[in-house]
Amino acid sequence: MRALYTAATGMAAQELNVQVISNNIANMQTTGFKRQRAEFQDLMYQSLRRVGSNSSDQGTKLPIGLDIGAGVKTVGTPRIMSQGNFLPTDSPLDVAIRGDGFLRVQLPNNIIAYTRAGSLQMDDQGRLVTPDGYLIDPAITFPQNASNITISQQGEVDAMLPGQTTQTVIGQLQLSRFMNPPGLEAMGDNLYLETAASGAPQTGNPGVDGMGTLLQSQLEQANVSAVTEMSDLITAQRAYSMNAKVVTAADDMLQQTANMMR
Amino acid sequence: MDNALLVGLSRQVALQRQLDVIANNLANIDTNGFKGESVQFEEYLSSPARANAFQLKDQRVSFVQDRSTLADFSQGPLTQTGNALDIAIAGPGFLAVDTPTGERYTRNGALALNPQGELVTHEGYKVLGANGPIQFDQNDTNVVIARDGSISALNSNQTVDRGKVRLVNFADTQRLTKQGASLYSSGGQQAQATTATTYIVQGSIEKSNVQPVVEMSRMIEVSRAYTTLANLLTRTDDLRNSAINKLADTSSS
Repeated sequence: MRALYTAATGMAAQELNVQVISNNIANMQTTGFKRQRAEFQDLMYQSLRRVGSNSSDQGTKLPIGLDIGAGVKTVGTPRIMSQGNFLPTDSPLDVAIRGDGFLRVQLPNNIIAYTRAGSLQMDDQGRLVTPDGYLIDPAITFPQNASNITISQQGEVDAMLPGQTTQTVIGQLQLSRFMNPPGLEAMGDNLYLETAASGAPQTGNPGVDGMGTLLQSQLEQANVSAVTEMSDLITAQRAYSMNAKVVTAADDMLQQTANMMR
Repeated sequence: MDNALLVGLSRQVALQRQLDVIANNLANIDTNGFKGESVQFEEYLSSPARANAFQLKDQRVSFVQDRSTLADFSQGPLTQTGNALDIAIAGPGFLAVDTPTGERYTRNGALALNPQGELVTHEGYKVLGANGPIQFDQNDTNVVIARDGSISALNSNQTVDRGKVRLVNFADTQRLTKQGASLYSSGGQQAQATTATTYIVQGSIEKSNVQPVVEMSRMIEVSRAYTTLANLLTRTDDLRNSAINKLADTSSS
C-alpha cells in the first residue's frame, strides 16, 4: 500500500509548510525580516508501463504510460527579498535601506555579517553599533557631545560639534549587495552570512551602481503580509488534513483486506 | 468458481494503485507547476475454454487492469508572489532547463540566480534562453521579464537586454515522462516553439492544478468500491465454505 507512505510525505511537507508560515508570522514585527516560503517538488515516479515502449511487433507504441508517483519533497525555503514597508521613528540613528543592499556588521570574531535591520545605536565610546553591540563596518565614531546627527541618502554621516556652526562629516556608511541575496545564510539576530550560493559581496556607497539608498529615522518593517500568511496557513492546514484522510482510507482498505479472512 | 475471487482481486489491485495516484496528487497539492494525474483502466478478457462446442457458449470472464496514468495538463491557478524572478506560464508550454542528464522541461517558474549570475531553478539547473543560459551582470537591478519572455535589467541607469526565456511545447504532451523534481523529459519528441497565446506572467507562480474536491470524492469512490469487493470476496468464501460443509456432510452410518 504505497498510498500510506505517499500521504505521509504530503503530511510531512505540510507540517514543514506550517513551520515556515508560523516563523513568518512570529517575525511580523521584526525589523528587516524577510519572509520565507516552502518550495515543494514531486518525488520520483515508478514506471509500471513505460510510455513509448512497443505495444506490438508492428512497431505501435504506447502513447501513455503508467507512472505512479511517490509523493512530495521539500527543495528549500527560499527567502523573498522584497522591500518591506517603512516605519517612521524619532531616532536619528535609525536607517532603512530602499532598494538593494545590506549594512555590514562586524561580529566579535571579526567575521562580517550583513543585515537589513537599521536600528543602530551608539555605544559608550561613541561608536555606531547594532542593538547587539556589534560594530558597523566601516567603523564610525562620533566625537563627544555631537548633536544633530544626519545620515544622507548616499550614506554620509554628519554631526554638529560643540562650538561649530556647520555640520562636520563624521564618516561614510557603506552597503554590500549580492548576486543572489536569497542564497545568504540566516544566522538569527537579523544577520546574514555570505555563502557560496550568494556570491561574493560587492561593497560601495549607497545610491551608486544600483545600490539602494538610505532613509534616516525610518525602519524597514518585515515584508510579511498578514493576509497572505493566514491564507497560506489555511491552505496548509487543509492540505494536511486531506493527506491524513488518504492515510485513513488506505488503512480502511487494509483492514477490509485483513477482515476477508475469518 | 474461482473466477469471482480473481475478478474481484484484479479490481482490488487496480483500486490500490488508483489510491496511490490520488495520494500522490494530494501530497503535491502545494507543489508549484504540478500537474495532477488520473488512472485509466481497461478490460482484460480471459481466453475462452479450448473446447468451445457446448450448447451454451462458454462465457468469457472479464478482468480489470490499469492501463495508464493520464496527466491533466490544464492550467493551474496563479498566485502573486511579488518576486521578480518568479514567473508563471499562462497557456500550454514549458521552460527548458539544462540538467546533468540533458535538457528537461518544467512549468515550475520559481527561479533564482546562482553566484555566477545565471538564471537557475531552485535545484540549481540553468534555465535555457534562445542562445543558451541567461546571464546577468553583477550590477543588474530591476529585472523585468516581459510577456514574451524577453528579459531586461537596469544597469548603471541603462536598460540592457539579457536574452529571452525559451518557451517550448510538444505535439503530444502525454508522451512526456515525469522525472520528479517538477521536471519532464521529452520522450524522444522534438521541442517546438509555443504559439502566441502562451505568455509569461512575472511575479506570479503557477500552483498545482490538483482539485482537492475531485481527489477527495475519487478517494471515497475508491474506498467504497474496495469495501464492496471485499464483501463480495467474503461472500464467495462463505459460499465455498458452506458448499464444502454441506456436500461433505454424508452420513457415515
